[in-house]
Amino acid sequence: MEDKEFDLAEMEKETEEMLKINLLNEKNARFTRTEGGFLSLKTGDKDYPRVLAVRMFPFTDPDKYISIRTTGEHSKEIGIIEDMASLSGEVRGIIEEQLDLRYFTPVITGIYSIKDEYGYAYFDVMTDRGRCRFAIHMGGSDVVHLSETRIMITDIDENRFEIPDVLKLTPGERKKLDLFL
Amino acid sequence: MPEEPGKEIKVPKAVKSVIEELGGEKEEILAFSPTDMNEKGEYADGYAVLTEKAMYVLKSEPEKNAVHSFKGFLNRKDRDADKEREWKCTRFPAEEIKKISVEPQVACGLLVVEFSDGIEKTVAVFSNLYRKEAHVLSRTFSNTFEKKEEGEEGEKKGPKGPGGRGGHGGPGSGNEDDIYCPICGMMYPKADRKICPRCMDRKSVFIRTFGYFMPYKGLMIFMVLIYLAVAALNLVWPYLNGKVLYDYILKKNNAFLLSVGIKNGDFILALLLVILTMFAARLTLQLLTVLQGVFTARIVSSVVRDIKKDIFKAMGKLSISFFRNRQTGGLMTRVLRDADRVTGFFIDGFPYIFIHSFTLIATLVMMFSINRRMTLCAVILLPIAFVCMFFLRPRMWTAFGHRHRAERTLNSRVNDNLTGARVVKAFGQEAREEERFVSVNKRLKDSEMSIVGVSNFLYFTFNFTHSVASIVIWIMGVYLILVEHSMELGVLITFIGYADQLNGPMNFASRVFRWWSDSMNAAQRMFEIIDAIPEIREDEIPLPMNEPKGEIELKNVTFGYEINRPVLKDINLKIPAGSMLGIVGRSGAGKTTLVNLISRMYDPQEGSIYIDGVDIRHISFHDLRRNVAMVSQETYIFMGTVEENIAYANPNATKEEIIRAAKLASAHEFILRMPDGYNTMVGSSGRELSGGERQRISIARAILADPKILILDEATASVDTETERAIQAAINYLVKNRTTISIAHRLSTLKDADFLCVIDNGEITERGTHKELDELRGTYHKLMELQTKALALRE
Repeated sequence: MEDKEFDLAEMEKETEEMLKINLLNEKNARFTRTEGGFLSLKTGDKDYPRVLAVRMFPFTDPDKYISIRTTGEHSKEIGIIEDMASLSGEVRGIIEEQLDLRYFTPVITGIYSIKDEYGYAYFDVMTDRGRCRFAIHMGGSDVVHLSETRIMITDIDENRFEIPDVLKLTPGERKKLDLFL
Repeated sequence: MPEEPGKEIKVPKAVKSVIEELGGEKEEILAFSPTDMNEKGEYADGYAVLTEKAMYVLKSEPEKNAVHSFKGFLNRKDRDADKEREWKCTRFPAEEIKKISVEPQVACGLLVVEFSDGIEKTVAVFSNLYRKEAHVLSRTFSNTFEKKEEGEEGEKKGPKGPGGRGGHGGPGSGNEDDIYCPICGMMYPKADRKICPRCMDRKSVFIRTFGYFMPYKGLMIFMVLIYLAVAALNLVWPYLNGKVLYDYILKKNNAFLLSVGIKNGDFILALLLVILTMFAARLTLQLLTVLQGVFTARIVSSVVRDIKKDIFKAMGKLSISFFRNRQTGGLMTRVLRDADRVTGFFIDGFPYIFIHSFTLIATLVMMFSINRRMTLCAVILLPIAFVCMFFLRPRMWTAFGHRHRAERTLNSRVNDNLTGARVVKAFGQEAREEERFVSVNKRLKDSEMSIVGVSNFLYFTFNFTHSVASIVIWIMGVYLILVEHSMELGVLITFIGYADQLNGPMNFASRVFRWWSDSMNAAQRMFEIIDAIPEIREDEIPLPMNEPKGEIELKNVTFGYEINRPVLKDINLKIPAGSMLGIVGRSGAGKTTLVNLISRMYDPQEGSIYIDGVDIRHISFHDLRRNVAMVSQETYIFMGTVEENIAYANPNATKEEIIRAAKLASAHEFILRMPDGYNTMVGSSGRELSGGERQRISIARAILADPKILILDEATASVDTETERAIQAAINYLVKNRTTISIAHRLSTLKDADFLCVIDNGEITERGTHKELDELRGTYHKLMELQTKALALRE
């Protein structure tokens, strides 16, 4: 329970802080890896034992505009990393480790078969994480075109698979995918 | 989902033995979740097991060349835990663990343990395939261990309390048999819809669709008779036209004339008779065709109507969640277009299969009896055409699926655009919308073209085969007549007439597959809807609600729209009959969700809701909905008059009752300001109402429904303060003798509430009367201050 008397000025300050874009770089922020494998941040006079890294544009600009946030239900933004390329290799590695798991999406490199049966489509594909077999709903929008050639597939359980460039598939594989192109 | 406490949790032998090695042989297993990834993002099997003393995490190395199967493919054999492999097992004693939580990522999840010393660590990673099991494990831990520390409450719930045993239908949680298809052993894509898409073949789709024609079997049989008559007449035609005309009559064959009973060699009479017979045959043929057209129209329109009715009815039964994940445009395609398409094959194709097969065989027999060599020449190319058809089959199927998707996108786009017309105009984006429309429209055209392309190719193949055969017959015929002298002209003409008869079946063969694909494709989608089992189901023997009192009780209610993101967490709440409860909380806190559960739009994942002590899952839909009325923030006005809209829930209401309800809702005055009064047409085709007006009509609707339980979800959010006061007065009148739940941002709306609760993050954080909450100096107090200060600023 807050003992502090409710303060309008305090709230306004908070709001103002929320409106500000706070850019983080290696000068004003120190990222470290915690013992448990998470990310911690020290910036200014504040110490965050665990922070989250979130991509603002996960499809179009995965390496730019990374939001660094507090954890928990009322997650708030601490600051933004404008470009991952501006970070040194080590720090970049720590943050990328977090991002990689958060946005875990196997990339489909080959297609063995796609069968359309009674409202579901069954995929048997090769991915960069090994061979995967999954099923999607035909009724919804489980196959999303991120661009003309880039496709994101979401299975029944919301597992994601990506085809970065359909043109890189063989003509035979494209034909199997034909229904979704 | 039904809880099944006390069900023994089956753990694979290998997992059990690993745990036993670490000294856990005597520990009771409380929960168990398979995992399928590691921290590096590789697929690797593992298990997390929670016993009464500790958590065990088993991990294996990623296997090379392993196939990772997700739901729809997952076979119980695929994940064989008993297979020889090396398990790396870690034991985390329960007393060292403070909390086990599931942290959902974008497309996978982490099982995170917070230790007593404050360190958080990811102990296991799983794909969304196992998120349910992981959640059960995490909840089991908190129900078993966290509450114990709080003392008494924990004792009551104990490890076997609600949610303590995850008897949910996930793999590994006991009731395995229910979630796999008994035929192919694959896991059902949806556990509660026990239909295996792979084992459900298209034949049964066909038979089921055929069922729609059964009520019209009398007409259908009649149709078949007509078809047969047509086919028979068609067979007679070449014979009259060729052999009889040329070889008997024009050649003055006396024997023939005598055989039909014409004496004296009266060839003129014979000629007249033949012409008359030919004319009669043609006329009958035409008449039969007209008759057939009439019957077809009657059967088709009736069947289409029946199917549309069924789809619409099925959709009405489905739960809100079904509509949440689908595009409206797509669903409209199903009701409007698919029904038409389904019948296509049955009318244009199915009956003709018999007719054409009959014609084909009869014609071939006739041809064969006339001249064998020529017949062989005529049919030699036929197999090629059929082989083509066979190979084009899958492409046709895909093409129809394609078209459906394109059509759906187009419908959705139009729907989206028309609904958002105001925004489009406001931002001047008409041109861009047009562009977007053009691209989806083109997609539909392209898909339509590809269907036409395939079917044209088939058509061409069949026709080509046929033309070649005709030419061959002519050449051979001429050769036989002029060189070999083994054939007469009339016979050749008859033969050619029969060869032309083949045209019908051939043309048909080239098209029938198209109809079949189109029809079955649509039927499959249709049955998908008809078969869909609503998530919210009425009990088989529902309990009636006689003279309800209106007492509501929520016990340990947990609910989330997605399984791993609970919106409400373990809510306990009791609302005495006849009282008014006010709910406040920030947006997204779960207020609307809570009332959605009470009106049973959704069922809680855990816990139960009781009205007058009866679980609402057992109450009949009719009684429940009649006694629980909701005025929500999303008002909907149906097409119709104001009067009909107010009387929506109670169509038998008298005019007086309607007027009283409108008056109580402060709607009477504005209704009378409209020229047509209560008869004004409103809704999508009628007069446009303002947000406040719509809201007042919905309130009037709820008043007229006269429910025992009234839910007001931001019911007065879009009316001005003055109107709100008026409605408030009406509500004060309204809340007498009923239980009212009112959700509001403006605390002034809730000033008459008997007691209030504050919901934050899906939990009730504060509860009590105004005074009690104000004295608590918590969120409620804060909100009060904020609103009074804001008001003070304004004045």
